[in-house]
Amino acid sequence: MRSWRTVDLVGLLALAVLLALPAVAPSWLVGDLAMYLSYALLAVALAFAWGHCGLLSLGHGVFFGIGAYAMGTLTLGMLPGLEAVRSTWLGLVFAVIASGATAWTIGWFTFAGRGLHGAFFGIVTLALAVVFERLAINWDWLGGLNGLMNVPPITLGPNGDGAELWEPVPLFYVMLGVLAATVAGLTAYQRSDRGLALAALRENELRARALGYDTGALKRRAFALSGAVAGLAGALFVVQFGFASPALIGFSLSAEALIWVALGGRGELVSAAVGVIALRLLDSQFSSSLEAWWPLVVGLIFMAVVVLLPRGIVGEAVYRIARQRGR
Amino acid sequence: MHLATLLLDGANAVLILMLVALGLAIVFGLMNVINLAHGEFLMLGAYVVLAAGQAGLPFWVGLALAPPAVALVGLVAEEVLVRHTYTRLLDTILATWGLSLVLRQAAVLLYGPGSHSVVPPDLGAVTIAGSPYPVYRLVVMAISLTAIAATFALFFRTRFGLAARAVIANRAMASCLGIDTRRLDRWTFAVGAGLAGLAGAAMAPLIAVDPQAGLGWLVPAFLAILVGGLGSIAGPLVGAAGIGGLDSLTAAVASPVWAQLAVFVAAILVIRLRPTGLIARRRRES
Repeated sequence: MRSWRTVDLVGLLALAVLLALPAVAPSWLVGDLAMYLSYALLAVALAFAWGHCGLLSLGHGVFFGIGAYAMGTLTLGMLPGLEAVRSTWLGLVFAVIASGATAWTIGWFTFAGRGLHGAFFGIVTLALAVVFERLAINWDWLGGLNGLMNVPPITLGPNGDGAELWEPVPLFYVMLGVLAATVAGLTAYQRSDRGLALAALRENELRARALGYDTGALKRRAFALSGAVAGLAGALFVVQFGFASPALIGFSLSAEALIWVALGGRGELVSAAVGVIALRLLDSQFSSSLEAWWPLVVGLIFMAVVVLLPRGIVGEAVYRIARQRGR
Repeated sequence: MHLATLLLDGANAVLILMLVALGLAIVFGLMNVINLAHGEFLMLGAYVVLAAGQAGLPFWVGLALAPPAVALVGLVAEEVLVRHTYTRLLDTILATWGLSLVLRQAAVLLYGPGSHSVVPPDLGAVTIAGSPYPVYRLVVMAISLTAIAATFALFFRTRFGLAARAVIANRAMASCLGIDTRRLDRWTFAVGAGLAGLAGAAMAPLIAVDPQAGLGWLVPAFLAILVGGLGSIAGPLVGAAGIGGLDSLTAAVASPVWAQLAVFVAAILVIRLRPTGLIARRRRES
């Protein structure tokens, strides 16, 4: 019998718990969790770029925001010439393409030739997050500071008609399905030959290049893939939240996503996803009771984790169990 | 707006940005630490002036207290947090980002999330080229220039500076020659924090003092040091002059928003095309 990797078992366990949850949890909690699952998708995108490919992006909120705005503008019929098109399905396609293409362009610009590495790349993405946030705030077509309001929920018909998907339980299962499929797909990609090449360039780019890999092209594709997943997350967020604002595209969400991934664990996608869901649950629990002390506590825990547990809290637990099992 | 006022305001912005970028650059250049909490050190400097004012102390006392107070915070942060991440460059980003969150939230807890204003000392105004200009802004420029000159003197005229430059050139070799790099790191981080604290204190009467006050400075300062180049101490000054000057001048002809966008995009282009910076010097990889 084939023995499973610990991280896969943890992922399946988390999936099983989440699948069973709507049977016992109140419906408001299921609704909240459905939204947290879109954050988890963003965390997975960032963990793939950062943990697996070594591309520390301080501006991943940009792609989340582009996905949200793309979905919003299309389903609200704001695209010039396409006012009649209101399809959720086309909105998803548009969101994924727009965010993926933006990530590809940023990757093409920063990685070509000698390229930017590590911290330089991080600072450029940080500056880009500020640029995109400013653009969203000052672009009246996108609603400026107010953002896009009344973004419609998921509609199952071909062009914005048919049944609307807004009840917590079905929405939760849809989100869970998308997240599970994304994690499974990206994990398989990480373990494929090309995924191994990405891990190799993370460890030593010069050596990977010397072995004949076109590292610039590999990084560009990986970053575009990560951006597209983040865009999908943004699109699936906005159909639940009903509102796309500049706060989604800029610095603050990018920084928050970084904290989720660092706390959960950047090494494995499952750790990042479990980490963000746990953190958001704690957040909703404590931000009202501890008020202004709660961000301080999160900041202190975050610093402690960075120093003491570079694998993250979930990642460290998975690592220890794996060492015990010898697998 | 009058041309002279415009140029003076531009010079003011450039000099403050130089001060902020210089602190960031010596920490990055010497310790290889990317300090995302640098903006919060600036914010702390402004709060020290605010606190001194509330305690009934004159403005100048607050201004004098701010750099050592913030340097002390830097010293503690280095000892407790930053030194544990020295071998992991990208983790310094995360650790100092956590520090900035904590400092910001501490300001919220102590002084509330709203903004405060610090009354500038009443020094009147002088007439420069036919238009009145507040004397306090001239004083801010003088403080910046003095601090920049003092930093240069520290790095090029003292034994500490000699040791620091040796560490920048080759850390392992400097350590072998008996330079206490641990002690040097500690003091470098404190000096960097102190410079940010001074900038924040001097700017306190000119800005809204709130917990987010430092965020707006962080990205321009980073772009300044990357545009200028990390190999020399003059690089960040050139970068800050470019970033701050372009920003002020574009803001005068267009809106401040478009000025900032144009400057950020221009800076990203420069960083991409010349990753070693405008003032490049070959640096030994450690």
